[in-house]
Amino acid sequence: MADQATFEEDAMEFAPQLYSAALRMTRNPSDAEDVVQETYLKAYRGYGSFTAGTNLKAWLYRILTNTYINKYRKAQRRPNEVELGELQDMYLYKRLGEHSGATESAETTALDMFVDEDIVEAIESLPEAFRMPVLYADVEGFSYKEIAEILDVPIGTVMSRLHRGRKALQKKLWNVAVERGLVEPKE
Amino acid sequence: MSGCENAVEYVYQYIDGELTMTRRARVRWHLRRCGNCIDAYSFETELKARVAKAGREAPSEEFLSTLRALIEEEKARPGA
Repeated sequence: MADQATFEEDAMEFAPQLYSAALRMTRNPSDAEDVVQETYLKAYRGYGSFTAGTNLKAWLYRILTNTYINKYRKAQRRPNEVELGELQDMYLYKRLGEHSGATESAETTALDMFVDEDIVEAIESLPEAFRMPVLYADVEGFSYKEIAEILDVPIGTVMSRLHRGRKALQKKLWNVAVERGLVEPKE
Repeated sequence: MSGCENAVEYVYQYIDGELTMTRRARVRWHLRRCGNCIDAYSFETELKARVAKAGREAPSEEFLSTLRALIEEEKARPGA
């Protein structure tokens, strides 16, 4: 059992990370703040049920995820979500590879054409079932097992969503590159 | 080149550090010999790093203070 008296000391260090995950889920700073506040209140009240010495970060993310889902599940699906059809593995790499004219050199890579905002846009375009595993693996560095516990789904589901989510993210980045004329799609 | 299929299949598990030692060794063995797969692996590794960097956005100090105050308030609540 964890001691409520040490909650702040134990849990506050994760607040910035939880906030950035909440921001990518809600796509809106004030909603992200609401989700994090509610998460911390729930976590504080339930801290007695947390086993001290186990994975506090994952425990907090699980509360954050449930809080987000409960608050926004019924919210309307937003437009601009990327289509999740059948995509080739390593989609972006292969598309970019078809463009031998790419301005690659030892100092710059194909990914340098994207600014952080493009990548954020691509992350935020993912349907939430795919966005969460991608965020949790890539941004938070959680293991598949931890993500499975946070999302309460089997590891195999985490792996397939992560795989499809990454491909969809790459497709979105490719679309951004085409729209902006950074690459010319081959006929 | 033989082994490419295997390397492509395991690329994410490799960069996520989720492969067993044996499978990891098998992929590394292939990567030492296959420039195409090395390029692909570097690309995926770099993309993961870019997502990690872009995905982070710090909250304001003001929000963190509000959050602390909220917990203090909750602590002080009778019966809490």
